[in-house]
Amino acid sequence: MMLNPFARLVLSTLVLSASLVSADDKEYKPGPDAMPKEGVPKGVVTKHEWKSKIFPGTVRDYWVYVPAQYDGKSPAALMVFQDGGGIIREKGSFRAPIVFDNLIAAGEMPVTIGLFINPGVVPPAKEGQKGRKNRSYEYDTLSDQYARFMLEEMIPELEKKYKITKNPEGRGICGNSSGGICAFTVAWERPDAFRKVVSHVGSFTNIRGGHVYPALIRKTEKKPLRVFLQDGKNDLDNLHGNWPLANQQMAKALEFSGYDYKFVFGEGVHSGRHGGAILPDTMRWIWRNWKEEKY
Amino acid sequence: MMRAIVIFLLLLGWAGGVLAQDMPLSQVLIDGEGWQAVSEGHGFTDGVCSDAEGNVYFSDVRSGQVIYKVDLDGKVSEFIKDAAGISGLQWAADGKLYACVARGRMVVRFDKEGKMEILAKEVRPNDLVVTHDGNVYFTQTPEKEIRRIDPSGKMTVVSKDVVTKPNGITLSADQGTLAVSDYGGKYVWTFRIEKDGSLSYPQNYMMMRTPHSNPEVAKGDGMATDADGRYYVTSAEGLQMYDPTGRMGGVIAKPQNAGLVSATFAGPGLSYLYVACGDKIYRRKTKTKGVLFFQQPKLDKQK
Repeated sequence: MMLNPFARLVLSTLVLSASLVSADDKEYKPGPDAMPKEGVPKGVVTKHEWKSKIFPGTVRDYWVYVPAQYDGKSPAALMVFQDGGGIIREKGSFRAPIVFDNLIAAGEMPVTIGLFINPGVVPPAKEGQKGRKNRSYEYDTLSDQYARFMLEEMIPELEKKYKITKNPEGRGICGNSSGGICAFTVAWERPDAFRKVVSHVGSFTNIRGGHVYPALIRKTEKKPLRVFLQDGKNDLDNLHGNWPLANQQMAKALEFSGYDYKFVFGEGVHSGRHGGAILPDTMRWIWRNWKEEKY
Repeated sequence: MMRAIVIFLLLLGWAGGVLAQDMPLSQVLIDGEGWQAVSEGHGFTDGVCSDAEGNVYFSDVRSGQVIYKVDLDGKVSEFIKDAAGISGLQWAADGKLYACVARGRMVVRFDKEGKMEILAKEVRPNDLVVTHDGNVYFTQTPEKEIRRIDPSGKMTVVSKDVVTKPNGITLSADQGTLAVSDYGGKYVWTFRIEKDGSLSYPQNYMMMRTPHSNPEVAKGDGMATDADGRYYVTSAEGLQMYDPTGRMGGVIAKPQNAGLVSATFAGPGLSYLYVACGDKIYRRKTKTKGVLFFQQPKLDKQK
């Protein structure tokens, strides 16, 4: 087949970029716990929109997962995911609703309501304009603003329909990249409200000052958090920092200060493939003693 | 085949979108291309702006009596006489040069013959920007105000007591967002420009680097925007650059140890950064180019 020069360029770039992007990530694939299993009841995922006051002018989509085992009487545990739209996709790297179905049915995590939430955008006033993207502001800023957004807006909204545990041990928060540092920030600011943190390829770098966390962790009285970190040795190295080094610094700081933490350091790049592949085991680890904790 | 190309382009678009968020200084600065003085011997330069050809205009807010012009060959001339104490300049779509007359407490515009028309009196303007559709937004620094003069000449206060010392002012490349730097704080604030020209949803969107000796005060001053949507703000620490999502890309060093107060893209292809720094105007070549707000902004295709 004769290809025109443009098509040849496209194809050669395709081959090159495919080898660059996925060479170190190929081994990470969703496993059997991320596939629907016969006899396992399926939870229900519903989509909603939220207009925030704490992030004025922002609009965002969010999805709520309610497991089949939720009975409306006993309070459920809560797991929040930043960038939620990608986490719930049935063909994505995470497939969290399916993982939750399987693990809840097996008793490996509590009956858990999932809040999968996208970052906000201030929509444009006129058609054709871009609007103001708020992801970096919400996720990368070191402050209690996103925690307050959770505690004063999103969780009260969920509580209108569902019983959610008040026990911070029964509340987890998870994210990838900037969503990962955001998860840590929420629990760091409000350990009275969230005590389980999961970060994949977390941006503990200087996007908006987040590189200071290892130093803060070492010189702050230990907080009652359980922290799971995943990163890959081929993760980003850019103007904001070096992700593999930053995550190793985080792990060492958590170890130094005696935290209940786990660090999985793989071969991956800045993607969710590794974190997604191990999500079932991560959930098992983070919820490992849920039966002893009273929700 | 076409399907493969389409899928590839989608992938590329995704990857490009991710990469576009990471905007290091190396995307803008050129090795070996430092600051060059283009005009010297002034008191306190300010108000740099560009016309459609890339000619540069500036003022000397302390001792100058005129508005200067630097043409594409680097020749400096007096463009408008009898124009003292000007702190902000911008060309607008009506072909006129708008000015903050700080000392005379006026906002004015000059036509090409240099004839001055007063738009607002008894104001204390510091810096201004004019949208393509003819709205003038200017800062009143001590009053903590942003004011707007609409195309009919009516003036309103569109923000008060949000920014500590509102100073520099610019637009996003699509002119949907107004950005204002704080001379008395450490943020650049963004606002949505509503269809009626009012401002909504102020947010401390960009956090500026501050001196160690004064960690809460960046001295944010004049601002500029480039065609890729990066924001630039002059400050005590240098010329700070941000990506369109408010993440710092880096800080460009000052040309000399003096007040860096105004910046614009101008020169051939609008690809040079020009700054007002103390007694001199400087420029340096970049890999990017500016946007002119008097020109129709590029908008996304309507769905």
